[in-house]
Amino acid sequence: MNIALLSHEWLVLLLGLGLLLADLWLPPAARRKLGYVAALGVAAILLYSILFVRLPAGGVEYAFGRMYILDSLALFFKRFFLLAALAVLLMSVEFAAEIQSGLTEYYALTLFALAGMLFACSANDFTLLFVSLELITISFYILTSFQRARTLSLEAGVKYLIIGALSTSFTVFGIALVYGTSGKLNFQDLAAVAPQLIGNKLFLFGLLWVMVGLGFKIAAFPFQIWAPDVYQGAPSPTTAFLAIGSKAAGFALVLRVLFTAVPAITAQWSHLLIVISAVTILYGNLCALPQRNVKRLLGYSSIAHAGYMLLGVAALSAAGQSAILYYLSGYLFTVLAAFTVICLVMRHAEGEDISRLAGLNQRSPLLAAAMALAMVSLAGVPPMAGFFGKFLLFKAALAQGATQHGYYWLVGIAILGVVISLYYYFGVIRAIYWPGNAPDPSPIPVSRPILLSIYACVAGMFFLGLYPNPVVTLTSKAASALQAETAAIHATATLPKAPRAAWTRSLLGPASAAPSRP
Amino acid sequence: MQDILFYIFAYLALQFGFLVVANPFSRNPVTSAMFLVLTIASLAGLFVLLHAFFLAAVQVLVYAGAVMVLFLFVIMLLDLRAEERERLRTFEVVAGLISAGAILFIFLATLVHSPPGIQQSPTAEGGTIALGRLLFSHYLLPFEIVSVLLLVAMVGVVLLSKKNLK
Repeated sequence: MNIALLSHEWLVLLLGLGLLLADLWLPPAARRKLGYVAALGVAAILLYSILFVRLPAGGVEYAFGRMYILDSLALFFKRFFLLAALAVLLMSVEFAAEIQSGLTEYYALTLFALAGMLFACSANDFTLLFVSLELITISFYILTSFQRARTLSLEAGVKYLIIGALSTSFTVFGIALVYGTSGKLNFQDLAAVAPQLIGNKLFLFGLLWVMVGLGFKIAAFPFQIWAPDVYQGAPSPTTAFLAIGSKAAGFALVLRVLFTAVPAITAQWSHLLIVISAVTILYGNLCALPQRNVKRLLGYSSIAHAGYMLLGVAALSAAGQSAILYYLSGYLFTVLAAFTVICLVMRHAEGEDISRLAGLNQRSPLLAAAMALAMVSLAGVPPMAGFFGKFLLFKAALAQGATQHGYYWLVGIAILGVVISLYYYFGVIRAIYWPGNAPDPSPIPVSRPILLSIYACVAGMFFLGLYPNPVVTLTSKAASALQAETAAIHATATLPKAPRAAWTRSLLGPASAAPSRP
Repeated sequence: MQDILFYIFAYLALQFGFLVVANPFSRNPVTSAMFLVLTIASLAGLFVLLHAFFLAAVQVLVYAGAVMVLFLFVIMLLDLRAEERERLRTFEVVAGLISAGAILFIFLATLVHSPPGIQQSPTAEGGTIALGRLLFSHYLLPFEIVSVLLLVAMVGVVLLSKKNLK
């Protein structure tokens, strides 16, 4: 048992617990700065991950009886989440004045949600999938309703709680049915038996229910109903983390379940995936049109983006999976830039109406430029990251068009969605640059860490749009890990039982002690 | 004998569960909570039939005991009179019935067409020893993550229910 395998998770959890303890001895005035400590810690873990964490020759390592997996896909997502959390923590320090009580807990809960995401992208078993999803979701219930003095925040928290609990019950029910029909919880064990269960309706029903729970996380139609309200009501840093972290964790799990655990069944679900993707794109874009609240608008736009990424899932190919990862990377920088600006401009404002952005160009040209670039990237206009991501996704879907004409329709609908989205994204840009009378013409002070974060986001957007090669190499390597594991399963059909780790033996004594199944 | 007991407990669980959400005689939340206790007790019976004795005991001790006391506290502390008077709106009832009916229909149609699950005669291994061994060997990692989850929930509850917003 190699403890270094889970180093990301342990370090983040220790950091979170350390913050909670530090709060006891610090004077209240110093608490705001703790956010910088948390951000520095996350940055250190990210640096450690990039410099020192290396995969073994085989490219994959397991822990805890193959429940936990570390491959290039997991590592990609871990660094992704750490980067997202870093920017979100910096944003929270700016937002500190708006949080009346429990500032340290706000930072700590963000870190615990991050730990849940780190576990989720390494889940190789339905038990770990469920527990890590719950850790993410429960942290977000609290983070969403953190501004107790605002009714909107409380309302968002309650809505998220009720719909989240409902979708959790679907997931558990689904997992129970999958276990009941197959007797397996581990993804690779499941992949070995899944081809025999294609005709078993109860098994398919269980899988579908698991997908309902994951569909809630990524806000895909018809499980998207919570997204606009929660995005609007939650504190801005939480909304950013929800838009990026929670969605990416959902996609990591969707990829694992669909392409590692049940690839044979996923291949038969292409129709379903195409329809869901198309409806999600249309719903998100059409509903975003009349929105006047920026955060609500981004909520609907995040539904549309989930639809674009589902297009990559529906393509059922390594190219499609790699394109999802690329799209998520671009989305990371774009959404973080947008929410950092929203957080700075609107922190003292009651509503987040688009008109509050008026005159931003005079108040802070940097923020105005960052927001405009983020909107351009979300709309998918070259040369930004969003364009190249969409290009890769559409290309992956068109490559499958020969097998099924539905893919052509899907890409057509997606392009229609992009055209619709141009209207509302450029509405935001117009509000920024249109010489209207600004409600508050004072310049906006930008602190140094936030300046750095905005520059990094803008650089990321341009880099991913102009020099896609390095990241494409990275994402296709991560996606190929998924393919390699699937191929290995098909080659061997039945995997040898995992060797029981030394620590288990020392814990339980002689080999006969532990039953492996309840 | 086991089969008959299963049907009795299953029927009772369904019947009481229905009465929790839609009691034609009373809309008092306390009544609903009491029916929830009965639902949980019937579920505990089902667990006993599966030889999951520990789960059955936990159902009664934790859910029917501790959690329900908390439920009742909250119900009695909050003033739910307004809730009681509120009429059900037709649209909500119809929408709820349609979605629940659709899910039920799909589920039943699936059940009819599928073979029974893995045949495993229940063995008496649902006791605490077997469960403890599994929790600390095979399921150690999820078990430890649950501890973080409980910490998060506790921190959250304290924060959200704290009286003074300083």
